[in-house]
Amino acid sequence: MTTATKSDVGLIKHLLRRASFGATPVELDHYEELGYEASIEELLHPGDPQNMPDDIIKRYHTDMHELRYGNSATAYWLYRMVTTKAPMEEKVALFWHGVFATGYAKTNQARSLLNQIDMFRRLGLGKLDDLLIDLAKDPSMIIWLDNQENHDGAINENWGRELLELFSMGIGNYTEDDIKEASRAFTGWTLGNAEYMAVRASKDSIWPYGRIAWHFNFRDGDHDGGEKQFLGETGEFNGDDIVRIICKQPATARFIARHLYDFFVADEEPVPQWPYSAPRDPEAIDVLSQAYFDGDHEIRHMLRVLFNSDFFKEAQYARVKCPAELVAGTMRLSGSVTQPDMGILPTSDLAGFMGQTLLNPPSVEGWHEGTEWINSGALVERVNFAAKEISDITAPGVRVILDRLADQNGGEYTATEIVDACLDIMGTAEMDIELRAALIAHVGIKGDVSLAGHEQGDEAEQRVGELLGLIASTTEYQLV
Amino acid sequence: MTTSAAQTLKLEYVKTIGIVNNAPVGRGFANPVDLAVRADGRIFVLNRGAPVFTRIGVINWDEDYLYEFSSHGDGEGQLRLAAGLALSNDGSKVYVSDEYNHRISTFDSDSGDFVKAWGSLGSEPGELNGPTGIAVDAEDNLYITDQNNHRVQKLTPEGRHLLTFGSEGGSAGSGDGELNMPWGICVAPDSSVFVADWRNDRIQQFSAEGEFIATVGESGDGDGQFTRPAGVAVDADGNIYVADWGNERVQVLAGDGSHLMTLRGEATLSKWAYDFLAANPDEVETRKISDLIPELPPHFNTPHLISSQIEPYFWGPASVNFDNEGRMFVTESSRHRIQVYQLG
Repeated sequence: MTTATKSDVGLIKHLLRRASFGATPVELDHYEELGYEASIEELLHPGDPQNMPDDIIKRYHTDMHELRYGNSATAYWLYRMVTTKAPMEEKVALFWHGVFATGYAKTNQARSLLNQIDMFRRLGLGKLDDLLIDLAKDPSMIIWLDNQENHDGAINENWGRELLELFSMGIGNYTEDDIKEASRAFTGWTLGNAEYMAVRASKDSIWPYGRIAWHFNFRDGDHDGGEKQFLGETGEFNGDDIVRIICKQPATARFIARHLYDFFVADEEPVPQWPYSAPRDPEAIDVLSQAYFDGDHEIRHMLRVLFNSDFFKEAQYARVKCPAELVAGTMRLSGSVTQPDMGILPTSDLAGFMGQTLLNPPSVEGWHEGTEWINSGALVERVNFAAKEISDITAPGVRVILDRLADQNGGEYTATEIVDACLDIMGTAEMDIELRAALIAHVGIKGDVSLAGHEQGDEAEQRVGELLGLIASTTEYQLV
Repeated sequence: MTTSAAQTLKLEYVKTIGIVNNAPVGRGFANPVDLAVRADGRIFVLNRGAPVFTRIGVINWDEDYLYEFSSHGDGEGQLRLAAGLALSNDGSKVYVSDEYNHRISTFDSDSGDFVKAWGSLGSEPGELNGPTGIAVDAEDNLYITDQNNHRVQKLTPEGRHLLTFGSEGGSAGSGDGELNMPWGICVAPDSSVFVADWRNDRIQQFSAEGEFIATVGESGDGDGQFTRPAGVAVDADGNIYVADWGNERVQVLAGDGSHLMTLRGEATLSKWAYDFLAANPDEVETRKISDLIPELPPHFNTPHLISSQIEPYFWGPASVNFDNEGRMFVTESSRHRIQVYQLG
């Protein structure tokens, strides 16, 4: 085991902002001891998530036992993101949720949407082929893209089209005939009791006894088993064959590479622009595409190459935090979630006010990310939430920060020193020089800060709490 | 469905009562967690109403929806996280626990009028931290599971402290007589007290004075094992009926802990469900051609996930209660209904 050098520490923090939701001081201790490359491997091999136990959540939040509605499900996922010890699992689920965007607005099935997220946890770092096959079998996706209406002799192209356009290859790499043939191959891929479930979904019916969750069902009698021509190959293809052929294509490698680059490296343009604009870093896409084939289509290998690359290491603060990252990351740092609390529901709703209602994307294209997250209304929500959350000096994670600061430097800080220490903790070390000066001037009005012998709620703690809140209000804190 | 049964115990499914109600008032249930049946047959159903449709609905055996009282909130007569319900011996008072506001509220059972509330957050005698189950003894005193103090308190109907037992010092324990987040509670015909020791996956029996007597069950999903038992009832023969919440089933054990029977649930359409379907023929037609007990893909491999997919099965069995005619009522929070069995 190697211990991180000082220059590695900045990179490890960068890695944790992307592969996790930032890092608490305690997490940072662990990963610094591991070193950069070993940290990547640990993150890419998630172990026991040790998140808040399900039984405790479901007893307290009876609605999360049932998961009848979307807000219960998003709050439940937020518990998971905030308390997991295997953050990459949640990050990769969040990534695929953005790519394979499936929503409550049409499905009216929060539980089955969460089952889809669980599938992303299970398969999201594995081989793309396996992920796409399970996606095709995912009942929420089937209803979302109408595949229950895709019948032998009467195809519905919705799923076949989006599979190629948005989920694997991108426009320009297949023909309209390929869409039709793919759709034929997926006939009979439906959900159990499809007719009843589709009626209930369309009416948002919860009667008589609440929702009945969904499962995949293959109807052999409704499957078109005839010969098909797809992307230059001919055979009596079923859906599995279509996925296998898709996953062999260089276009698929490049499309997935660009998605990974967009989420983990630097914001790209929205997906609909991709056929008409070059990637932000074409060489990076080449590297990731090669990794796709070198690693036998395994996403974990692509991410290993990505996190070890210079283009990743040089891309600090090149993305705008999506609302889920902002909310979950700030809550992980504040440590405010230690047991179930009714407050999780309104907090989860806040991500929606910031423009990202998880499990309910605006369309199958997912969210338009990057600077589109920031408008005046969303920014106010982001700043208000983060500042309030991190300036709560009673929150357990903030207490850890205060204790750490008290232990370092003898607990004695000039205004400059305390600002730099807090910027470092908040993951915003690259602060604009004028803004940093303004923070120092503000703190300096009351002189040096002494945390030696600090007691909860004393003036020094309040000043540091206020400073943490101010940092959470800066432009830099919106970036990751 | 009975997966195994002893010759001596006869417990037969009778009917299902309920329908989900998606409004703050009116017929139907909203995440019901507990009930009590008055001597005259009136059934008082506690709707936890997650998160906001809290109330007590009163029905009779013929499923007439008679009236309702209380609502969601923190004011007098309101409930935030309603958890347990019991009736006084004369049936005139309804006691309801609120684990959010750490108090017990009393209502007049006929009018639904709020009478009084007592209790506050703390760990001193008489204080509460997440009160959940309530049981009334022959003297009309209350036994209350004090969830997050990991203990049981015996109090008068006015809230005066009489006795405490379970874990000491506010910490969970797993030794004999210690508790970990207890949920349901009942007073047996012999006056002993049975506690669903939720996070220890067992049922513990105490004397009326709080002395430890016995424990039954262990962690697991086999016969006689429990996963987070929520509710408990005891019949005149000393048989123990357990709402095995985490296993989504009801188990019956003999007094010595031996396994007698497991029920997985077999709900049918209730009277109110028929009323709904009569007005929604499109759902009737498609429901008719559906297999509501389907074979599931292997990754749906927990009782919880299976129950989410199979409507007749218990889902969130939070309590098990008897009326004085030997009917057993299983309250299911996530299916908004009550499955009734007859003990014969």
